[in-house]
Amino acid sequence: MIDDELKVTTRQRDGIWIIDLEGDVTTFAEEAITGAYEGVTKEGAKYIIINSRQSDYINSAGIAILIGVVTEVNRQAQKLAISGLSPHFQKIFRMVGLAQYADIFATEEEAIAAMQRHQQAAVESAQ
Amino acid sequence: MSNPQHMAPSGDEERVIELHLPSRLGYEKVAMDTASAMAKRMGFSHDRVESLRTAVSEAVTNAIEHGNQHDSAMKVVVVFTGSDDGLIVDVADQGRKLLDHTITERTPDIHQVLHSDDKGGWGIWLIKELMDEVQFSVAPSGGNKLRMVIHLDR
Repeated sequence: MIDDELKVTTRQRDGIWIIDLEGDVTTFAEEAITGAYEGVTKEGAKYIIINSRQSDYINSAGIAILIGVVTEVNRQAQKLAISGLSPHFQKIFRMVGLAQYADIFATEEEAIAAMQRHQQAAVESAQ
Repeated sequence: MSNPQHMAPSGDEERVIELHLPSRLGYEKVAMDTASAMAKRMGFSHDRVESLRTAVSEAVTNAIEHGNQHDSAMKVVVVFTGSDDGLIVDVADQGRKLLDHTITERTPDIHQVLHSDDKGGWGIWLIKELMDEVQFSVAPSGGNKLRMVIHLDR
């Protein structure tokens, strides 16, 4: 009843990797989130969306885990977006400064559209 | 900033709720749910209730992890006191480890945190950002006591 439960799954959509989080993002989430990120990176992910689904409890330990992912994303020259957060957690993520390193969107669809624009810009600059 | 001591309860004991929580992570959710149930009934907006939930979770988590060092024999005591002006939440631990007060004044910087091994340290800063008043003191038990106040907008 009291234990944190987090379900983390990954999927690919139009060349963009999505890490879905369902449940509490707290200190207990570290292994699952970091493992999912490492998994999609091994698959060659360049564009990653962390999509929060029904996560109505994200605490500072969870934020620290996501900052750890941002650190790796910067090292790997990947692009990260975060979607599905409630307005409260969008506000918290902006307060913390995460929005400077990961675009934050209300919905997965908005995040996908933004990532596709980044993909297109990368293709054009490579030509 | 007004002194939260001056925001005295109206004397109605039904507006005081006290929780004694085991020092085990996860029990902070009981305090969060109690806080939001009380705040909703008092007429706080959804946004303010969400801020309160986050602040209470951070305070209780700190008490479990740092104050009581996860010692299951120790309790975290949370007292919610409603008044006409707002809600006072006192969170006290039994002080296996006293709070380093330099932490209470620290403003974390994400640029520095990204290059540091320690990605944490956001909890107390978040509480101070989200609540109207925050005080740190020593509890009668000898442990740490954090008092936070959230005012009703009138």
